[in-house]
Amino acid sequence: MNTMFKTYLKTAWRNLLEKKGQSLLNIGGLAVGMAATLLIGVWVYGEISYNTEFENYESIAQVMQSQTFGEEIGTGVNQPMQLAPVLRNQYGDHFKHVVTSSFTNPMLLTVGDTKISRQGNFMEPGITEMLSLKMIQGTRDALKDPSSILLSRTTANALFGASDPMNKTVKIGTNMQAKVAGIYEDLSKNSEFGNLTFIAPWELLKTTANFEERVGWGNNWFQTYVQLQDGADLATVSNIIKDVKYDNIKNGDNPASIRTKPVIHLHPMKKWHLHSKFENGVNTGGLIERVWLFGIIGVFILLLACINFMNLSTAKSVKRAKEVGIRKTIGSVKEQLVIQFLSESLLVVTLAFMVSLVLVALGQSFFNDLTGKTMGIPWGNPFFWMTCMGCILITSFISGSYPAFYLSSFEPAKVLKGTFNRGQGASRLRKGLVVFQFTISILLVIGTITIIRQIAYVKERPVGYDREQLLYVPINTSEIMTNFESLRNELLQSNSIKEVAASDVLITGTFITNGGFDWKGKDPNMSEEFNTLRATHGYGEMVDWEIKEGRNFSREFKSDSLAFIVNETAVAYMGLENPVGEYVKWGTNGNFKIIGVIKDMVTQSPYDEVRPMLFTLHYGNFLNFINIKIGKGANTRQALSHIEAVFQKRDPESLFSYTFFDDEYARNFLNEERMAKLASFFAVLAILISCLGIFGLSAFVAEQRTKEIGIRKVLGASVVGLWKMLSKDFILLVILSSCIAIPLGYYYMSNWVADYAYRIEISWWIFVISIAGALAITLVTVSFQAIKAAIVNPIKSLRTE
Amino acid sequence: MLLQLNNIFKWVQQGGKRVFLLKDINLQVEEGEFISVMGPSGSGKSTLLNVLGMLDGFDEGEYHFMDESVHSLKEKHRAELYKQYIGFVFQAYHLIDELTVYENLEMPLLYKKIKGSERKALVADMLDRFSIVGKKDLFPTQLSGGQQQLVGVARALITKPKLILADEPTGNLNSKQGEEIMELFKKLNQDGVTIIQVTHSEKNAEYGSRIIHLLDGRKVEG
Repeated sequence: MNTMFKTYLKTAWRNLLEKKGQSLLNIGGLAVGMAATLLIGVWVYGEISYNTEFENYESIAQVMQSQTFGEEIGTGVNQPMQLAPVLRNQYGDHFKHVVTSSFTNPMLLTVGDTKISRQGNFMEPGITEMLSLKMIQGTRDALKDPSSILLSRTTANALFGASDPMNKTVKIGTNMQAKVAGIYEDLSKNSEFGNLTFIAPWELLKTTANFEERVGWGNNWFQTYVQLQDGADLATVSNIIKDVKYDNIKNGDNPASIRTKPVIHLHPMKKWHLHSKFENGVNTGGLIERVWLFGIIGVFILLLACINFMNLSTAKSVKRAKEVGIRKTIGSVKEQLVIQFLSESLLVVTLAFMVSLVLVALGQSFFNDLTGKTMGIPWGNPFFWMTCMGCILITSFISGSYPAFYLSSFEPAKVLKGTFNRGQGASRLRKGLVVFQFTISILLVIGTITIIRQIAYVKERPVGYDREQLLYVPINTSEIMTNFESLRNELLQSNSIKEVAASDVLITGTFITNGGFDWKGKDPNMSEEFNTLRATHGYGEMVDWEIKEGRNFSREFKSDSLAFIVNETAVAYMGLENPVGEYVKWGTNGNFKIIGVIKDMVTQSPYDEVRPMLFTLHYGNFLNFINIKIGKGANTRQALSHIEAVFQKRDPESLFSYTFFDDEYARNFLNEERMAKLASFFAVLAILISCLGIFGLSAFVAEQRTKEIGIRKVLGASVVGLWKMLSKDFILLVILSSCIAIPLGYYYMSNWVADYAYRIEISWWIFVISIAGALAITLVTVSFQAIKAAIVNPIKSLRTE
Repeated sequence: MLLQLNNIFKWVQQGGKRVFLLKDINLQVEEGEFISVMGPSGSGKSTLLNVLGMLDGFDEGEYHFMDESVHSLKEKHRAELYKQYIGFVFQAYHLIDELTVYENLEMPLLYKKIKGSERKALVADMLDRFSIVGKKDLFPTQLSGGQQQLVGVARALITKPKLILADEPTGNLNSKQGEEIMELFKKLNQDGVTIIQVTHSEKNAEYGSRIIHLLDGRKVEG
């Protein structure tokens, strides 16, 4: 048997060498397909194994909060800081750890002259056990001391280099200090806490920021993580604690906020990454959809490559049939032939796999660019190689099965005598497979064009304000705001700077919402929610919003400290006929007069509809950004160095940084553009592979019909006529594929754009372009072989008889 | 007796009518015979040969081969039977182009699962017997037609069959090469191998000890 196998491989190898061009096509196509599938596979594995490195992966959960705003239920991670103590004290039986945490943000860490900005968080001490931190120095207990800080190995190295960091003092931001009490091994980048490069005690932040006095159950400013007790059931516990917040508000300090009917629930760690989307309070999916989509595309691309292999081998069957006949007459049974053909495909697939590894190594960084991930191929992981082996076997089987079972069933008497029918069945199957390939390819092209169109459409959406030469500097120290006027004046001394205004949120993302408003004619049952932006004087002029009614905030009116400027959507939302001059009561903050209405601006996701917005004047605390407008025609570099000099002087402790709003706005498109790039990448691959397929196939057809072409030429057929004859079949197949791809594409892409409130119509020309493109590419591919066959001198092709 | 055909019929349906390829064929072949089958094109010579070789079935009648009833055997057993006792020689040689002379000769032995050492000995013996040792590493396309047919015959003989079925073995050869092949057959027959050959040539037919004439699927007395 061993020798037999060797002979099979030998025959296969010689077959490959004999037809070098075809073999190259075959192996190349398969290798490209395998490489793509391999990359996708590694990506999918990365996404699925996200967070799994944590020992307590199964028992960690985040406490979520669902609140009702009008018709909608919004779900988020934000929690009041009062929640964790209640869970710990009253429901402690269910939890091993309950941890209040702030948000992981870049913070300035200072040791002596070394200043670095690092991502980190303020968390309660239970987090160290929860995440099973691998301590290099110190213990997990160390965080219990509110003046301690834990550093990741990388952060410690960056701050202290070779010297021992333990017990050294680190300044956090501008107003906190802590002693290094432990060093932990960096957390996996492929996890929610991958950017947690230092952990400071929650107590430290709470005391420094004086939260105890100023934040209540209504301030959802923090996060709460829990680890369940062994054996506790997540759903059960989630159900037990669901009314904790509601009950505490009802009896607490701010009963008004009860209108949002807060429900808290647990979201397990294993769902954080892939199932993060909540719609109307229900966990509906998330990234998992994309994992499935890409997984399926990966399998399809491999399938397309397998189809090429199958088609080329069945096309070769006329020649192979003779061999099957001979082998059968000299004693081979069907099973042996099946094994022979399968081992041939094993050989080809293995070769293709080796080539694909080279392609993967070359294409990895490109693919990482596309996905925005930094994943490596786990060359050293035996599981990876086992999966690859499995894939090789499956691919060989799929690619080899049809030729194996089809060819091996030939009857020797017929093939050898030449009465052998050239296999209507095989050619029909071949056509079916080509149709399948082109359906997939055209679908991907339709998808790509739709995505690109949608992005372009949203990018062209008028935002309603002027972003040009507008930038912001984050505020790191409260001193900046105490002396805001003098800072502003100093900045304005440079005539390249046109305006300076501070705000609490950025105009590209006004995520702060508020409730508790009342106005004339308001429906008492309405649980209203407005997005709000607080800013200093001149903000409106700076962003150049368009006043439709009324006026801007003005320094001349002292009463403007209790005034709103609202957008058109807010007017409609409140149902006001003559908004300017109306009063809106805002909880205990006072009675605000509407002094102006502005045209709607895009201040949240440009894919969504504009939400009702209120703008107020504000100075002092809560302002986080200094917005600066550089004048038209001014020298940007000079302006920036001026800005930097001013900030360096006033806040020497912090690292100066600035961001242009153009770049900030562009972030809205990162995700979609990535999607578009990936889709184009897959579409190009699918087309490439399909074209390789029909290229090979048309060569065979031309070869098979050599004699016919010769006879036709002798009888007077023109080259053009022959070219038409040879191309027609393939064109028909592509047209058939289009007929299948159009309804599917329309259906899927309609569903896709339906996710966006601001979206394109799926227009007919997208389909026309996709199909025309597919036809053109097919025509070029097929014509190459067709014309080659058509211009051969007929004497040559007929002489072989 | 080696084989016996009783009232063999074979037909195909064409436009609702039966077209007979073989009609009521009766034939007895004793071991050691050398039979030539003759007849015009389309008379059923090759069909008869394929039926004898068990490569093709028939619709009616009985076929006994060495006391086995071929007509009632399963496909697999039939294959076993012809693998063991029958060798085929073709007009177009039908060697496997991708394999060398040596490998072509070895192929039937591999299918019979004969061990390596014995296989080597058998192939070496055959190369020697047909004086083609020097050509063992060549591919079929590097040989002349006569040499290819020599390999074809050697391949048919290597499993030591009782019966050789040859379908116009000299059809593609020039007269000198053809004569050599026929002399070879004659010698094999003298060594005890039963041979049935299909031929167009009166001269080659004369090598046989018996000639069967076919016309339109029927045996006619020549």
